[in-house]
Amino acid sequence: MADFSILRSFSFMVSADDLDLVEREQMPLASAMSAMSAMSVMSARTALNRNRNRNRNRNRNRNRNRNRNRNDTANAAATGGILEPWEERAALYALRDEWMNLPLALPPSLPELRTQAVELLHKQVLLAQAPHAIRREEILIEAELELSRYLRPYGIETHGGYDATIALMLTVLALTDEIGLYYKARWNVPRPNQVEPRLRPFLPAPAHASYPSNHAFQSFAVAFVMSRIIPEHPGSSELFQSARRIAENREWAGVHYACDTAAGHSLARMILPVLEKVLERQMLAAQAEWL
Amino acid sequence: MTETRYDSLWHLVALGVLTPDHDPDGWWPDDVTRPSRVVMIDTSVAMDHPNLQGAINRDLAFDLFSTRLGAFAGLRDADRIGDLSFGNATALVAGLPGCEALLAELMQRLCPDQPPLVDGVQPATGPVFSAHGTAIAGLIGARPAVVDRAAAHLEDDDDPTVPLPYCGIDPTCEIVPVSTNFDDDPEQLILAFLYADLVRADVIVLPRGIPDPFRRTPELFATDLGSATLGQMVLPCPVPDRDRALWAELAELIVKLSLRRPIVCAAGNENEDYGIYPASLASDDNGVIAVGAVNAKGWPCSYSPGSGLTVWAPSSDGTRFDSAEVRLDPTESRYDDHGIPATHQNARFSHYQIISTDVPGQGGYAASPYTGPEPEDGVREYGSYFCRFGGTSAASAIVAGLISLARGLGQIAGNADGVEAKAWLLAQAQAPNPAYPNLLVPSLGGRGYQAVGQ
Repeated sequence: MADFSILRSFSFMVSADDLDLVEREQMPLASAMSAMSAMSVMSARTALNRNRNRNRNRNRNRNRNRNRNRNDTANAAATGGILEPWEERAALYALRDEWMNLPLALPPSLPELRTQAVELLHKQVLLAQAPHAIRREEILIEAELELSRYLRPYGIETHGGYDATIALMLTVLALTDEIGLYYKARWNVPRPNQVEPRLRPFLPAPAHASYPSNHAFQSFAVAFVMSRIIPEHPGSSELFQSARRIAENREWAGVHYACDTAAGHSLARMILPVLEKVLERQMLAAQAEWL
Repeated sequence: MTETRYDSLWHLVALGVLTPDHDPDGWWPDDVTRPSRVVMIDTSVAMDHPNLQGAINRDLAFDLFSTRLGAFAGLRDADRIGDLSFGNATALVAGLPGCEALLAELMQRLCPDQPPLVDGVQPATGPVFSAHGTAIAGLIGARPAVVDRAAAHLEDDDDPTVPLPYCGIDPTCEIVPVSTNFDDDPEQLILAFLYADLVRADVIVLPRGIPDPFRRTPELFATDLGSATLGQMVLPCPVPDRDRALWAELAELIVKLSLRRPIVCAAGNENEDYGIYPASLASDDNGVIAVGAVNAKGWPCSYSPGSGLTVWAPSSDGTRFDSAEVRLDPTESRYDDHGIPATHQNARFSHYQIISTDVPGQGGYAASPYTGPEPEDGVREYGSYFCRFGGTSAASAIVAGLISLARGLGQIAGNADGVEAKAWLLAQAQAPNPAYPNLLVPSLGGRGYQAVGQ
């Protein structure tokens, strides 16, 4: 039963920076309580409206965006990007029981893979045609998993002031790269050009197994993480589209089957709660840049 | 003269739910014979918030973010979910083959012998990143509370308790959170709405949009560019046939479900005519309710249109500076009077903001000044337990709570369907502002919106 006597006796009064607890007679509470009130300054941050965030973003001119487009952690470490995320890796392995046996569907059989490879042959033919020049460019840019495709949905591709968001994305990419390799090794599925020799991949096929697609897994993992941090931002839904495009481009490049993409998405969705535990501090830091 | 401080529950007084002295206005919780059940399809909720104790149905809380067929976060320590008394949605999905198949899968998942979590997949319901849902839940059903102060922060002569005098619009209701991600995935949302029906929601609230590629901006698909429509050509990825069919079925499902149960939808924060999808599905003959935002003074909030929606409810205002309206806040520190036309609408701006519950500690919209984990034995500050909130998300939560309260009080019959609930809502609505005769704000007892801060 709701106790309305609490509301009759006390109120929260809102001012520009505070939420003050007052007795209904409008008298300040005892000194100890006042100290508590002063201590509990409410942030002016608000979920009020997206325009406000966007306008603020436009006003950010500081170019502190040094990590941008540096997704290779080893490379980034050498050039002033994020350091090797050893603490996060340690936390990840402390929770290994929560992510090493996720119920990812078994990969298709070889005959099924050959069927899926035919679809890739179709894409190979189309990719060589003029209307797909943009996709060819995308495939080359995305080969190294650079960050612009993740930043663009939020309109921060050329903006400074989002260091924590970028560092978080880089860390997610680093951790999921490793997790993906673990799952790939379990089934050791051959690359499409190994089951369909007529495929001439637009990119060199990486030297590890095909299923699941790490590009899909990593990209969707970034999207799911951002979906927890700023779900109400319209860019959070757009980021899924961007991730899907990156993943499908790997099919167009002939290095992944459609089933690899689907498995990458599925794994990213299931592993989000683990990433949230491992990366809570980094996610909070990123969130603070948006609220 | 602008008041420097205002009541955090101003919106409940304005809607005739509370008196200015914070007593229930013409009703009493004892009058509620059967608490209403509100299903909120949104993010997860910080269920341990002290003002939400008794408000959240932990057994039924359902997470679709990380688990395709849902996880029961509140039952995670149980061996099986047990008999949760689900209803029957068979008639709802008749003629919708994709929904029918998903319902069959869902019913298997909801059998009493099923485990709370599926194959070890954790639910994505950690409280730290549950800000939006926590604010929505508080606006609907928070209860006033008194909590202990953390022992380590007590002086000898301190009162060991702290009152938290905050309240949702229906502090008698029961909230079932259905948490979702924001992937453009029709299956997840179909499952969410089916679940809302299976748990017999009295009200469903959707304080978010749905990223349906075909219905979010349908006019793009009406622009023919020869080989394809503009909508098709700008899709980053082709939508598989199955998903295309499921998106269409989802739209049908929402309308069909709204005939059974009112579905309260946020209409968007960017002046969208007729609301974002699926608020845009609202029509006279269904139970979809598109909710816009009105500020404390009775003007449509700067981000909300003044017509074309079902109802409006109070929310925080924003500024606007474009050809349609110049509404700025001259008290804002960055206010610059250069370029402001002689005729402007600055006087319409209201600084009254909606306050709601927030994730305690470092998470949420308002962070604690303490960086460590929250104490286990009480609170050491209350600022991080509440936040400023707004948008049509807040307004939709308030309308859902108003319907819930009316249902609990018997003002809406227990067997009323979605259309009847919507009719009740409209019967309680008045236009507080003669300049906007179509801007209807419902209030308890239909007494009219009591504007404040003029």
